[in-house]
Amino acid sequence: MRILIVEDDTDTRNFIARGLAELGHQTVTSADGRDGLFQATEGGFDALVVDRMLPGLDGLLLVKALRAAGDATPVLMLTAIGGIADRVEGLESGADDYLVKPFAFSELAARLQALGRRPSAIVEASVLTAGDIVIDLHRRTVARAGQRIALQPREFALLAELMQRPGRVMTRTMLLERVWDLDFDPKTNIVETHLSRLRSKLNAGFETDAIETVRGAGYMIRDKR
Amino acid sequence: MSRWWRGTFGLVALVATGFALATLAIGVFVFETTHEALERQLSHRIAVETQALIAEGRGGPLGIAKAIRRRNLARSTSSLDYHLVDSAGRTLAGSVSLPVPTMPGYVELLPFTVNGQARIAQSLTTSIPGGSRLLVAADRSAIDAIDATVIRLFVVAFGAMLLLGVGAAWFVGLVTRRRLDRIERTALAIIDGDLTRRVPGAGNADEFARVAAALNRMLDRIAALMDNLKQVSSDVAHDLRTPLTRLHNRLEEALTSDDRNYQRSAIEAASAESRELLDVFAALLRIAEVEGLGARAHFADVDLSAFVTELVETYRPAMEASGHHIETQIAPDVTVAGDRRLLQRLLANLLDNAIVHTPTGTSVSVTLTSIAETPILTVSDDGPGVSPDEADTLLRRFARADRSRSTAGHGLGLAMVAAVAGAHHADVSIAARPGFAVRLAFVGTSLATA
Repeated sequence: MRILIVEDDTDTRNFIARGLAELGHQTVTSADGRDGLFQATEGGFDALVVDRMLPGLDGLLLVKALRAAGDATPVLMLTAIGGIADRVEGLESGADDYLVKPFAFSELAARLQALGRRPSAIVEASVLTAGDIVIDLHRRTVARAGQRIALQPREFALLAELMQRPGRVMTRTMLLERVWDLDFDPKTNIVETHLSRLRSKLNAGFETDAIETVRGAGYMIRDKR
Repeated sequence: MSRWWRGTFGLVALVATGFALATLAIGVFVFETTHEALERQLSHRIAVETQALIAEGRGGPLGIAKAIRRRNLARSTSSLDYHLVDSAGRTLAGSVSLPVPTMPGYVELLPFTVNGQARIAQSLTTSIPGGSRLLVAADRSAIDAIDATVIRLFVVAFGAMLLLGVGAAWFVGLVTRRRLDRIERTALAIIDGDLTRRVPGAGNADEFARVAAALNRMLDRIAALMDNLKQVSSDVAHDLRTPLTRLHNRLEEALTSDDRNYQRSAIEAASAESRELLDVFAALLRIAEVEGLGARAHFADVDLSAFVTELVETYRPAMEASGHHIETQIAPDVTVAGDRRLLQRLLANLLDNAIVHTPTGTSVSVTLTSIAETPILTVSDDGPGVSPDEADTLLRRFARADRSRSTAGHGLGLAMVAAVAGAHHADVSIAARPGFAVRLAFVGTSLATA
């Protein structure tokens, strides 16, 4: 992916740029809001990482200006700790996702990957397939290798979220946000316990684990085996 | 120009001057009206008398002269004087002292002398057929006397009003200033550092007492916040020293070792330590933000019943996995004005605590009821509980029960609960033993306006 990073803090900017380059992405950096907006409007980016507090032009305004100009490039907004309403404001301004500093790089990478898919605007398919697992979002049915599996609603929602992006890592916080609508990470391992239930149901009678745990990053479902 | 009149003295003085000027205006009006009425009345009398004389004298000068003499003898109308002259100006009858104007008609101010005294009369001169003129005049001394009385009356009233006004201004100004001085002295004392000072006289029922009471409440709140701040700063310094020291030690270890694997594990440990520190800071900042009450701007109706049910179901697998039983008793359709995200954190913290601080086999119970329109949320367990002394301090930052010292955590969970409850005008109470229960009563905003 070709990614524009607009971040005024040199350390953070280099940290992100280096990490994304290691993953094989092309990066362009900008340290200033106005310059960032100019670069963004030049186009050709698959995603933008924009810090909320920027010199020249505030991150929120940058995204608003971009959206007003009809540019739908996915934006991941970064913000410092705190600010309970920040997330809402960030998303309302037109950002597609929001990440609170300090963050683990794996979290940023996973979120960017998830964003990168979005603009292709897949027609909301009602049947999703990944490997030997097939789920029907409308009938709310799940089958593995043709064998029907009964799931609780939350387990189904969790599986559906993972199936939306087969082959891509979903982090714990992404799952908390999308499946449980929680914007914080509770002390209790909610995701793990739900996932272990889901796993035991999916894996019953099968040799391979349907859901892969990516150490230090999150979970994913393999596209093909 | 300074707005001197905006002070109490100035305002009362202004009002008093206004009243005095109004008195003066009324005086002028009364004087004018009375004066006019009296003059009209006098003119009317003179006219009637002139008509009567002409009628009595049958229109001829001799007849009129006779009538005048009869009147003067009878002296029945002592306030009126007459003077009849012929065409040559010779007196036919009446008072010689009254000069007769050559032109007929009214003369309002006709000077004359009686017994050597200069007087003023109001007169009517009428031409009689044959060239003679009849003058009927009335002494104006009566009008003058009444005029003088009216003027005296109102001058006295005006003076009294002014005097009263100045007095009132001085008195009201004095009382107000004295009471404001007390507030000012308190404020100055507080500026000088004596934060315990309060405005005196808050117990009465007047407006000054109300202001004093409101100021004192404000000062209490500020003092509480200041105490809180001091407490937090010292707590932060104290409670973060240990993890910071550990972090430092780990990094030192990594630097001094030559073993790559050992270095790696030390750095990983240091990284985990720093992450935990960041979490603590994030939690502190969030608590501070919620306590700052800015959260109320985002309040909306939250369906407590639905959201509590949902969050408990989210926790159920984890609770069962850790060997806890969870029971719920949730009344339907209980709503509260609030921030759903904050309430999620609140309940999540309580459930986290129930899992972390109680042994396997403990029953955790979540109940939501509405008593007299007040939603009440209770999270309780039948675990070992805490001592009542500890229960009082648990809502503070970094407060930890003795029993939980060994478990993970920083003592910020319940502080966040208290902060969110405060933002939602909810009363938090902790029942210590048997078991442990946190009860939240969403009493609403009625307390805030009381």
